[in-house]
Amino acid sequence: MAATSVGRVLTLCRQFQNAFRISTSLAVQQSALTLTKSQSYLDRLTYPLLSSNWHCHVGQCRPLHTTISRRGLEGFFDIPENWGEATVKSGAPWTAKQLRTKSNEDLHKLWYVLLKEKNMLLTIEQESKRQRIQMPSPERLKKIERSMKRLDTVVKEREDALRLLQTGQERARPGAWRKDIFGRVYWYRFREHALPWYMNKRYKRKRFYTPLFVTPHIRLRLEKHLRAKTRIQNKEREKQTVLQEKFPQIKAQSS
Amino acid sequence: MARRLIYPLYQIGNPQLRIFRPPFSLTLVRPGKEQPQDTVQFRILMEMTKCDVRNYLEKIYNVPVGAVRTRIQYCTNKKRNHLNQKVKRPDYKVAYVQLAQQQTFEFPDIFTEKDVKSAEGSVEEMQEKFMEDEKQRQKPDLRRGGVTEWFGL
Repeated sequence: MAATSVGRVLTLCRQFQNAFRISTSLAVQQSALTLTKSQSYLDRLTYPLLSSNWHCHVGQCRPLHTTISRRGLEGFFDIPENWGEATVKSGAPWTAKQLRTKSNEDLHKLWYVLLKEKNMLLTIEQESKRQRIQMPSPERLKKIERSMKRLDTVVKEREDALRLLQTGQERARPGAWRKDIFGRVYWYRFREHALPWYMNKRYKRKRFYTPLFVTPHIRLRLEKHLRAKTRIQNKEREKQTVLQEKFPQIKAQSS
Repeated sequence: MARRLIYPLYQIGNPQLRIFRPPFSLTLVRPGKEQPQDTVQFRILMEMTKCDVRNYLEKIYNVPVGAVRTRIQYCTNKKRNHLNQKVKRPDYKVAYVQLAQQQTFEFPDIFTEKDVKSAEGSVEEMQEKFMEDEKQRQKPDLRRGGVTEWFGL
């Protein structure tokens, strides 16, 4: 991801970082606050993500504090009101459909928000293991992980589309179909090396060809595979005939 | 970023490697041994380096980082499961981060029990009252000076 997008997004990333550094203390903390409090995640959609006013519309909101206490390490822990609670309310994870509606900057910021939340949950989990107490609402971790994965998927989709439109390349990482020593064909993905391949001793030991003495075994492997496949099919057919004899009124299942 | 990050090869003159959307997570842990006041202990991914940790904390958490030291904790491969197979506990890397600007950090106590008074007239309140009465009834006689009822007289 970094290799392909570095050149393109380098100029953008500096702006991101600048904007992020300036607004990180305010925006990220506020967004983390609005996220980790007891509001459903879906309600977040009603809040404009990029707006500068982060007003909470419901009465049970935490008051926003703009001073950074403990210089940021507070981000590793939950808000003090939630310490000692048995369960902490949290909303649904982000779906891919919702994420596709967001812009790239929003997704970028959301990734960091989710990352900080994940760090916080991992900290709580480890501490609960140390103190031998049950962690409050462990399902939050799964939700975060799923959200992050979906975000990743959405960003990959966008990158794929961009790459296809601009260059026509289907894959980000170049590769080739190669035969290994056992005669199996697989997709070999290229890696970056400092030397050409004919000078790379470790690469030459890999052998992307099949020696002659292996070829009879390839046929044997194929026969074994086909035998197993026909065995499964015959078994299924016999099972169906037995069922038909026993229960003639059942309609034959379409295989 | 995918799970298996493959970094591009770095040769002199290449642009600075930047990772957007890092997939690494840090876990703040309570130190097992006594650490100095300004040291914070993290568990990090095995692939992370000191520079990674420093940049992570400075950029994402806005924490002024002085020094970072890391070590790898090897966890046992000796335990066996019910099939007598060896089970490996995964290794992890520990980072000791010293904060700059003479800041101190003390690991807070997260799991303090709060005194919760349930609502008046509710079922929980009656249950709690009942439990308290039971406990009062089962308390031993104070005049016996701690000796149990088992001993006669």
